[in-house]
Amino acid sequence: MHVIVATDGSRQSLAAAKHLKSFADPTKVTEISVIAVIRPLASVAFADDTSEGKAKWPDGSFRDAAQSAVDTIAAVFDGWGPKVNKRIRSGSAANEIIKAAKQYDAGLVVVAAGGRGLSDSVLVGSTAQRVQHYAPCPVLVVRPAPKPRKPRS
Amino acid sequence: MADAATIPHQDEEDGELKRSITGRLLFFYTLGDVLGSGIYVLIGLVAAAVGGAFWIAFALGVTVAAITGAAYAELVTKYPQAAGASLYVNKAFGNRPLTFLVTVSFLAASMAASGSLAVGFASYFDTLWSGPPALLVSLVFVALLVVVNFIGITESVWMNMLMTFVEVAGLLIVLVIGIVHIFQGNADFGVLTQIDTSGDYGSPALAVLAGISFSFFAMTGFENTANVAEETIDPYKSFPRSLVGGMVVAGLVYVLVSMAAALTVPVETLANSDAALLEVVKQGILPFSTDFMTTLFSVIALIAITNTTLVTIVTQPRVLYGMAREDVVPGVFAKIHPVRRSPWVGLIFSGAVVASLLVIGTLVTEAGGGIDLVGRLATVTVVLLLAIYAIVIVACLKLRGQDEENPFFRANTPLLFVGLVGNLAILYFTIYDDPHSLIWCAGLLGVGLVLFLAEYFFGSKGTGSRAPDLDSQEG
Repeated sequence: MHVIVATDGSRQSLAAAKHLKSFADPTKVTEISVIAVIRPLASVAFADDTSEGKAKWPDGSFRDAAQSAVDTIAAVFDGWGPKVNKRIRSGSAANEIIKAAKQYDAGLVVVAAGGRGLSDSVLVGSTAQRVQHYAPCPVLVVRPAPKPRKPRS
Repeated sequence: MADAATIPHQDEEDGELKRSITGRLLFFYTLGDVLGSGIYVLIGLVAAAVGGAFWIAFALGVTVAAITGAAYAELVTKYPQAAGASLYVNKAFGNRPLTFLVTVSFLAASMAASGSLAVGFASYFDTLWSGPPALLVSLVFVALLVVVNFIGITESVWMNMLMTFVEVAGLLIVLVIGIVHIFQGNADFGVLTQIDTSGDYGSPALAVLAGISFSFFAMTGFENTANVAEETIDPYKSFPRSLVGGMVVAGLVYVLVSMAAALTVPVETLANSDAALLEVVKQGILPFSTDFMTTLFSVIALIAITNTTLVTIVTQPRVLYGMAREDVVPGVFAKIHPVRRSPWVGLIFSGAVVASLLVIGTLVTEAGGGIDLVGRLATVTVVLLLAIYAIVIVACLKLRGQDEENPFFRANTPLLFVGLVGNLAILYFTIYDDPHSLIWCAGLLGVGLVLFLAEYFFGSKGTGSRAPDLDSQEG
């Protein structure tokens, strides 16, 4: 099975990749494609929070940021078994992930979803939601763990 | 998971980096960005300065801008990153303070442009619904664009294209009115050669120069195409074609629209109107109800202004983000929202600066400062951008012979010198004509200085590069 692991450069997407590795059977996974999508018309076309790489101002390249995020996520699967591809696409995140899933005939798409609280419930149309609705295969949406409740005193 | 997993096929474009901006999209991006910024807002000022022949101002202004565009096209094909002018100046001079100054000037220009456009938006909005005060309309407009940008609706390439089509359609309406007017035999072509020397500007040359200076705001915006440089397919081919081509088309549209406006409406009426192109529609030359046409045209103008303002508001947090990553301004500007992936602090900050420009400008006007806010903010933009354009052309010339391993577009050298002189002449005149605009420029540049000092004294090294989003941790 070909698995697509999408990253938007967020740490949650790194968590999603680790989550996949934590339960999936590497002998059943033939290939993993780590995909980052650059959004050319966004204020910040791609931001990488997963690695410590330092951009050099002013020539900061969003391609470089996407590349380093893809590298970090791919490194999670180092030595795990399946062949790992790194891919950078450009356009609308959800569209590109869905297109990639069709193109590679993916058996599973792994995406990270949202944070907690207001922004997640008020603002609809997130990438994860659109991927869930339109992907041609099962989708694993990895949500952040709930904040530990403060013990009542 | 039901898994009809097929044989993993090796797809042909393995490892290839996919880009998404085609030459066609880039063309529309340039055109939309340039067309919206100004002709709807500023045509009255230009007409007032020059008289019936104000199309000459648009023609000359766009020529200087298109040459500058050629310099940008050369540099962008050599250094296809998003940073634009800052990057070129850094490559050419390697002087950090200068790079900082250029970057902050660009940011300030972009903020002043947003302010001017927001006031222009309010003028057209007034014709649809004159209830709310203009300041409120422009503030709500800016706030909405910040929210829209945060959510990421602006990222749709197709929406961008659609808005550009609407923009062009609006200007086509003006053209059609002009043509109908000519065929009705009512046009007096003598108007097109009249230069008004009775006003503030004694000689025709000065009057035209003043017109260029006012109209130049309408030529700006093309520099934002560097935003998408990295994602452009085959930039070597598409950039010169789309950028310079977009400018030429925009220039042609401007000249024809100015002629149509001058032929159909008395110049004094244009000069005294806040929403001058509406006057053309109000002449009732087309066989539709004037009310309907006015409403339709106002909506089109609002869309055009929105399109251009959006690009400026996308650009500002991006510039702040780039500087924050490198510890030039406080690291908080590199904060990316964990869900929306937007630089939300930078967005709110940009919105706040633009809003305070609007509030301060309105207060000054009401206190009898006697300024036209649209014009003043447009002038501030133009002063800052002209300085940047001149430096970019110098950078382009200085970088000749360097980094030329890959194919790049080479702009015509004598033309570049013409462009340099043109930019400096307009810059000189603009400052000479309105020295007060320098106070506003200084004020906006001061914001950049404050940010720099804040990082210098209170910032901690390296905060920017990590841009922590604290609440999402690995599971």
